[in-house]
Amino acid sequence: MVVTGRAGLLAGLGVLFVALAMPSWSGVGVVVAVVLVVCLVDVLLAGSPRRLQLSRDGDNAVRLGQQAVVSLLVANPGRRVKGLLRDAWPPSAGVQDPPHKLDLPGGERRRLTTHLVPTRRGDRKAYRVTVRSIGPLGFAGRQGSHDVPWTVRALPPFNSRKHLPSRLARLRELDGRTALLVRGQGTEFDSLRDYVPGDDVRSIDWRATARRGNVVLRTWRPERDRQVAIVIDSGRMSAGRVGDAPRLDHAMDAALLLAALATRAGDRVSLLACDSAVRADVRRPAPEDVLPSFVNALATVDAELVQTDFRVVVSQTLERLGQRSLVVLLTGLEPAVIEESLLPVIGPLLRRHVVVLASVADPRLDELEASRADLIELYGAASAARSRLDRERVTAVLTRAGVTVVDENPDQIAPALADTYLALKKAGRL
Amino acid sequence: MSTAVGRSVGEGWRALRLPLLITGVIVLGVVVLLVATAARTSGPFSPDSTDSSGARALATLLEDHGVEVTGTESLDDAVGSGSGRTLLIGPSGSLSAEDWRRIAAARWDHLVLVRPGRTALETLAPGIENASSTLPAGSRSPDCHLPAAVKAGTVTVRGTTYTAPPGAEACYGDGINYTVVRLETDGRIVDVIGTQQSFTNAELANDGNAALALNLLGTHPVLVWYLPQYESSSFDDPETDDGPPLIPPDVRYIAWALAFAVLVVALWRGRRLGPVVPEPLPVIVHAAETTEGRARLYRRSRARDRAAAALRESALGKLFKVYGIPRRAEPTAVVTALAARTGMDPAMLYDILYGGPPVDDAALLSLSDALQVLTQEVARDVHDR
Repeated sequence: MVVTGRAGLLAGLGVLFVALAMPSWSGVGVVVAVVLVVCLVDVLLAGSPRRLQLSRDGDNAVRLGQQAVVSLLVANPGRRVKGLLRDAWPPSAGVQDPPHKLDLPGGERRRLTTHLVPTRRGDRKAYRVTVRSIGPLGFAGRQGSHDVPWTVRALPPFNSRKHLPSRLARLRELDGRTALLVRGQGTEFDSLRDYVPGDDVRSIDWRATARRGNVVLRTWRPERDRQVAIVIDSGRMSAGRVGDAPRLDHAMDAALLLAALATRAGDRVSLLACDSAVRADVRRPAPEDVLPSFVNALATVDAELVQTDFRVVVSQTLERLGQRSLVVLLTGLEPAVIEESLLPVIGPLLRRHVVVLASVADPRLDELEASRADLIELYGAASAARSRLDRERVTAVLTRAGVTVVDENPDQIAPALADTYLALKKAGRL
Repeated sequence: MSTAVGRSVGEGWRALRLPLLITGVIVLGVVVLLVATAARTSGPFSPDSTDSSGARALATLLEDHGVEVTGTESLDDAVGSGSGRTLLIGPSGSLSAEDWRRIAAARWDHLVLVRPGRTALETLAPGIENASSTLPAGSRSPDCHLPAAVKAGTVTVRGTTYTAPPGAEACYGDGINYTVVRLETDGRIVDVIGTQQSFTNAELANDGNAALALNLLGTHPVLVWYLPQYESSSFDDPETDDGPPLIPPDVRYIAWALAFAVLVVALWRGRRLGPVVPEPLPVIVHAAETTEGRARLYRRSRARDRAAAALRESALGKLFKVYGIPRRAEPTAVVTALAARTGMDPAMLYDILYGGPPVDDAALLSLSDALQVLTQEVARDVHDR
């Protein structure tokens, strides 16, 4: 049951009627009766919203910040339904359209389109479709809701993909396409080719030269087919907001850039998101499938408010790795947590693999440390300085243990991690 | 495909049936209870009032002695036929002369006027007049030949007094003015009582008060106890109106129509197009929260020593990095090296970098300034080079 502005207007005119024509109880009674009867007739004549048949199709996934289009097919087997239709989604689904106007004669179908721009990562479920059907007189009508399930998955935005071209260029320098003539660590045998004047004579393969009769050169290329395991800590340390997104989102961004780069470099990348339990797990997908599967797996991961159990993280990581690999652990550099729970259990990982610990630093701490106008800010600066010293101390401890630490501001963490990867690859430590 | 949610009209009715029934029963019960227990009269000298100024005790006493007491606040009950019945008219209220005449015309066999005014006396008890003096409280003997008073004996009286005409029985007074006067005219009795307080719940037990009351009021088996209110039939009489009404009489109908219109508009504006959608919200904790919390702890406990230590260590870290001084260097060596490069006084440098904790807030602020100047100068120095 709904009434419209017309019913209000009618009741308002009723006031004038009572005032000017019938100032008595019967006058009031006449007005009430007229309004009620008109509304009741209209309700009875209105088409039933409950009998509508609704179904959906459209986008299932959208990158965060872009627009998804979901359409709603409304079929009306009954009387004409005229009024409003609201396709209700949670606020973070970012519905762009006002309620749809609906005018659907009996036996017809309409397609209504809802545009969504999600404001947060994760699954956004359609809530309800509410139809308000106004009667032919326009005074009152009926209202009813339908459950029409649909889910739009808002994927991580991968904002750091702008850094990918420059890093790929760096990778090509390392790669066989700019053939290396110098043998060194981190290179493997690529091919033999004929000597061209100007080539380094130290690269001549004398044995092959003897076989072939002309001078042959060995070329080298960087190692390929290494394993890279990206481990994202989804515990409470990732819940803290840095800028306007949680650490976890910055970590995902960095992970995606690293995954894209490593895949192009010919390495096999796997993903693990873990706190006290495994939240996302992608094991060595096909190269062309790396980014889609990572993005999909990470879309629904949210920071849990529990302390990450690094024993679980280490054992799960070890279980997935065979040969010597690069393990990138994206977590927070919180001295107490690192010293008490990570360092005691990281030994097995360090013995077999190369470990990089990447952490998103908070630029707010630098601001705090720099501003010292009054006593309040001064204590803030002292506290920020203490935090930074603690981080530096634990970074030193980790470095001594053999862990490479990357601690950068949110806008720098993705390229810095990519550069670290390239540096390790160049140094042949993979 | 879709499924309709919410209830249809039939389902809604079935779900609401029981709650509606229960609510109805409760409302009905409350109404019945209120009607059953409602006092018909209230206020001072009311036969239903148990206050100290009420007269519930007297009414109960009369009923125990077989007198049927009917309390009322309506003039209509006082102008009915009075034959064979007693009418008590209470002290409050304002009745017009016309009302009093109507009461007189009802020909009550026995009228009891409690502290009546001038108009009432003129109409109902001609000859009795309001005396200007009041009687102080005290026990008094009747000093008259009224049997009701003689049997009751001494009574505590006080209050308004009246003068009695010849032929009336006047009791409980100072010899000139009296508080109880009985006048008998053509077979009907009119009692005027000035001492209202003597018959209230508070004082009924004193002396012979109760006996006097029973003797006065118990003359007939039916007693109508009328308490006039501040309303009278004459208010409805247009002839007594003093000018046009301030509020036109139609306004209340317009107000009701307006209320209905407001209700309809409220329904129109208040109905949502579907329910509010729940949103599972993420936790928002700023990463710097712990650092800021520690800053507040420092401030609250005035931890100048810890703050100074952190600032010094931080500044030293920057200086070490810039000048390549080993981290474990001796303080004196550090100061010597820094003094050589910045040209600052070694004693002052030592005080800034390794001195004792600041003694007060001003010292802490100046230490911080000094450290900042030092690090900035070093940075500029390096930049220039």
